[in-house]
Amino acid sequence: MSKKSIDPEFEDYARRFTSIEDATEKLIKDTKAYTESVSKLFTHGAQYAQHFATVFHPMQSEYNLEGKHPEAEHTIQNVDAYEAALQELKSALAPELELIESRILGPAKELQGVMKMIRKTITKREHKLTDYDRYNNSLTKLRDKKEKTLNDEKNLFKLEQDFEQASNDYEYINTTMKNELPRFMVQATQFVDPLFHSFFYMQLNIFYLMLEKLHGFADGKYDVSVSGNDIAADYENKRTDAWEKIEALGLTQRIVSTSKMVQSRRAVSGGGPTSLSRSATSSTTGSASSATAPAFKKAPPPPPGANSTYSAPPPPYSPSASAASSAAAAKRAPPPPPPLKPKPKAAAYVVAVYDFVPQADGDLGFAAGDRIELVERTDSAEDWWTGRIGDRQGVFPGNYVQEA
Amino acid sequence: MSWAGFKKSVNRAGTTLLQKTGQIERTVDRDFAEEEAKYKTYEKECQQLQKDAKGYLDAMRAMTSAQGRLADTIGVFYDAADKTSEGAMAAHAYKRAVDDLDSGLGREMDAPYRTTVMEPLGKMCAYFPVVNEHISKRNKKLLDYDSARSKMNKLIAKPSEDPTKLPRAQQEFDDTKEVFDMLNEQLIAELPQLLDLRVPFFDPSFEAMIRMQCKFAEEGYEKLSGVQRYFADNVRDDYAAGQLDAQVEGVLQEMRELTICGAS
Repeated sequence: MSKKSIDPEFEDYARRFTSIEDATEKLIKDTKAYTESVSKLFTHGAQYAQHFATVFHPMQSEYNLEGKHPEAEHTIQNVDAYEAALQELKSALAPELELIESRILGPAKELQGVMKMIRKTITKREHKLTDYDRYNNSLTKLRDKKEKTLNDEKNLFKLEQDFEQASNDYEYINTTMKNELPRFMVQATQFVDPLFHSFFYMQLNIFYLMLEKLHGFADGKYDVSVSGNDIAADYENKRTDAWEKIEALGLTQRIVSTSKMVQSRRAVSGGGPTSLSRSATSSTTGSASSATAPAFKKAPPPPPGANSTYSAPPPPYSPSASAASSAAAAKRAPPPPPPLKPKPKAAAYVVAVYDFVPQADGDLGFAAGDRIELVERTDSAEDWWTGRIGDRQGVFPGNYVQEA
Repeated sequence: MSWAGFKKSVNRAGTTLLQKTGQIERTVDRDFAEEEAKYKTYEKECQQLQKDAKGYLDAMRAMTSAQGRLADTIGVFYDAADKTSEGAMAAHAYKRAVDDLDSGLGREMDAPYRTTVMEPLGKMCAYFPVVNEHISKRNKKLLDYDSARSKMNKLIAKPSEDPTKLPRAQQEFDDTKEVFDMLNEQLIAELPQLLDLRVPFFDPSFEAMIRMQCKFAEEGYEKLSGVQRYFADNVRDDYAAGQLDAQVEGVLQEMRELTICGAS
């Protein structure tokens, strides 16, 4: 029986290394799954809106849908804005996904590369260990041999040398492993820490994008602060008898036999061609359903900048176009905190989102769309900022503007 | 296919051929053609809508469950070194948040989404095969009608020696006309009704969809943003300034400098 050496300390590290290896692979896989599903979500959302809008538009020779269905007027008027909003949302997503690709998936793949190298070293250690054990076993066997031949003596000497060599090799690599694997574990945590934070903010930002856009669209039009069950209940309340009417159409009945249909028609009408449709559905549609149509709850329009319930949007990933390239450049270069991506000092301009009428001396009035040079700003958008337009300077509420 | 059915389809194939070569006149009904075209557009839109509505729901689920798995994985990284660090706590909070979101989505959104969006679409889309059957029946009966008329007209133009032939052809013409007219008129009368009913039928879904989309975004944002409490104060700014990427790069570089990574 040959003896096999086991170093429990190393085995423990190796086991943890393997778990990180697996985790990295999963991280890459799930990051991809996440980006894919988000992209699908936004694509399907936009397409849904688009097709819904088409359905609520007159088809070819149809006209005046609102007139015919006053209860659906609100929907008919809003489908286009909805389509536009979801379309914008979809385009707003692209840079976010790119960010995930380059800032999360990229580093995770690099980590995988690093771990492959380490895995190679681990394999090498295995080989060295095998050598060590082999020489060790041969040596022990030879030493234990009672009667050694001349050849054996010679071999013994050689084996001793080989064993020493193998032993040194193994010790060296094993010690290095035991020294450095724990360091790597710590580094792996240090690696995942910022990565996790970045990824978190990216995910948060995706929700924020949706939230902002959808609320922006629904604001004042739809009351969206209801629970899931209420949504279904409201839906039931607003449901008209449209479905029953569709069910009553002859068209939606399966054809059993045309001859039976002819017979029943003859029986009803004596062959007259007038009694075709089973009920004069079309004429009753409007009135019947309008009775059940409740008024849409109209929330009062919010004051400008009233998105403040969500006043803490995730931070914008400020380094804009230039940052991406400089970051790419920094990839090769050693990492000391790069001068890239300065905080947006340069973005000294903001754009007015709402009209602001000066209320006191020292206020800076402007109209929506004006470009305002920032003189002083605070961290909070709920605060008064100082700005300049042309030669006028004054203060204005920070939530009336957005970054240029 | 029954023998009678087979005979019918062979005869109709013959009629189609003769119509193509111009020997039998083909009836063109503009009213019907117009309604059919509108209906076909509508059918296509509804089917697309159904596909996208399903895709949207699936994507919501896939998104949150991917986040759940990511949270697990990130936890593994922290476990490897330091289970009590701030980062590990945050990772736990994140895991709880996404799990919450995922189960909340299943609990609160699945059923309403099905009731208000998927079911109406499903019902509507289930009608299409039936309606299509009506249309194809009508088209077949039209061929019968065209063929009977042509036969009758030929007999009128060139009377046969058998005096019973013309009345029989006339009778057949009347019969086929009656069946065709019945189907055709029903389609012309009811297709616009079906189309028109789409507005009240789908109208309530619109509001429900918007509400649910808002709800999903809101839930997601609120649940996730609570995790920030577990982050160090500077994390948010560091992220905004791109510092986090630099840290990631820095650690990767340090890893590469390890002897065991040298593959020497």
